[in-house]
Amino acid sequence: MALTGDLRSFNFVDIFQVIGKDRKSGILFMEWKDLTCAYYVKEGEIIFARPIDKVYRVYADKDFDLLLSKLRMSAEGLSKTLERFLISRLNMKEGIFSFTPGFIKYGGEYPVVYPIEELIVLASRNLTPEEVERKISDELLLFERVPGKEEVLQKAKLNQMEWHILSLIDGERTVLQIRQMVNQDSLLADRALYALLALGLIRRKKKEVKQKQAPITLELLAKIIERIRSL
Amino acid sequence: MRQIKKIKVVIAGPFAAGKTQFINTVSEIKTVKTERRTQQSSEKSVKDYTTVAMDFGKVRIDDEHELYLFGTPGQFRFDFMWEILGEGALGIVILVDSTDPTTFHEARKIINFFQSRFPVPIVVGANKQDMPNAWSPEDVRIALDIDEEEGIPVIPVSAIDKESVKNALLTLFEIIRTNLTG
Ligand SMILES: Nc1nc2c(ncn2[C@@H]2O[C@H](COP(=O)(O)OP(=O)(O)O)[C@@H](O)[C@H]2O)c(=O)[nH]1
Ligand SMILES: [Mg+2]
Repeated sequence: MALTGDLRSFNFVDIFQVIGKDRKSGILFMEWKDLTCAYYVKEGEIIFARPIDKVYRVYADKDFDLLLSKLRMSAEGLSKTLERFLISRLNMKEGIFSFTPGFIKYGGEYPVVYPIEELIVLASRNLTPEEVERKISDELLLFERVPGKEEVLQKAKLNQMEWHILSLIDGERTVLQIRQMVNQDSLLADRALYALLALGLIRRKKKEVKQKQAPITLELLAKIIERIRSL
Repeated sequence: MRQIKKIKVVIAGPFAAGKTQFINTVSEIKTVKTERRTQQSSEKSVKDYTTVAMDFGKVRIDDEHELYLFGTPGQFRFDFMWEILGEGALGIVILVDSTDPTTFHEARKIINFFQSRFPVPIVVGANKQDMPNAWSPEDVRIALDIDEEEGIPVIPVSAIDKESVKNALLTLFEIIRTNLTG
C-alpha cells in the first residue's frame, strides 16, 4: 500500500511514527528540492541513507548486503549516512515522501545507532508552531502516561526539558497548565508533547462520559441492521 | 397519522473525504444539497462545489422509523451546526480520504470534537480504498493516532460501492448493539 505525501502537511515525526509503529521494512524515498534520497528501513528502523539520481537504481539493487559491498560501505559507515542525509535535514520543510514496503532483501543484523524513537524526538525539535498545532490543538487537552514503555524511553534519548514535560503529565494537568509550568517558550512544551504522543509514551485521556439511557430498543436496532443488510 | 421517528447517524470528515458520496450511495433520496462554489483556490482544484447547507439522506426502516444520515458541512468547522448535528445521534461515521494525508490531522481534530462531546460509538472509514494510492486502514489508524483503547475501529471503505457503505453502517450499528446488551 502506498504511503505518500508532502512534508508540509505530514512532517517527519508523523512519518517516523507510521514507519516505526508496526515495524515496517522497505524504502522511504524523499524528493528534496536539491536531491532525492533513499532511506533503507528494516523492521521499523532506518539503517542507511543514500542520495540517488534515479529511483530505478534502487530497485536494481535488491540485495542489501551486495549493495553495501558494492558501495564499500562498512557497518560503522551506515550511521554516518544518516547523519549526513537525514538528521541534518530534519529542519527542512519542503519535500515529497513515499514509502514502498518490502522488496529489499536484508541479510543479517545491522547496527541501529539512531533508533526510530530517537529520530522522532530529533524531528520533533524542528516542528513549527503550525505543525504542533495540528495535534496539540487545544489548551484543555488532557494527557496521561502509558505504562510499560521503559524501552521506548531509553531509546528516545529525551533531553532534560522533555523529561520534565513527561513528568508533569498525570492525567489531570491540561496542556495549558503544563505550558505554564515550564518557564519557557510554550513551543518547546508543545514539541515535547507532540513527540511523546508519537512515541506512544502518553495518550489522550478519555473523558469519562456516562452513556445516557439508550434512546433505542434492541428490537428496533435489530430491524435497522436487517434493513441495512437488505439495501 | 403516526409520527415518524428519526434515527440519526452523523457522517463527518474533512473536505472531500466522501461524505456526500457515502450518503448518496445508500440513501433512498438524493442528498439535499445547497452547493456553492468554493472560494479557496486550493479547495477548488479538488472539486468545484462544496456543501454549504447540509447533506442528508434517509432510509425507511418501518412505518414508524426512518434512518437519517447527516453529513457535516464542509466549510464551517466545529461551529454550532456541528453541535446540533451531534445531539441525539446514535453513532458517528468519520470518513477520511485515504489518498490524501494532508487531511489526516483535520480528521483527528474531528474525532476529538465528537469524542469529547458525544458519548456514542465512532467508526472511522478509510475511504477511497478503490484508488491505487490509498493508504491502508491500518496505516491510516496509526497516522490518526487511534490507539486500541479508544475503541474506534478503522475500516476500509469505498463510498462509491454500496456493499462497502452498508458494511460501514453495519459495523457502527453492531457496536451500538454490543453497548446496549453488554
Ligand atoms: N474513487 C473514489 N472516489 C470517491 C470515493 N468517495 C468519494 N469520492 C470522490 O471524492 C470527491 C469528494 O467526495 P464528496 O462526497 O463530495 O466529499 P465530501 O466533501 O466529504 O462530501 C468526489 O469527486 C467523489 O466522487 C470513493 O470511495 N472512491
Ligand atoms: Mg459534501
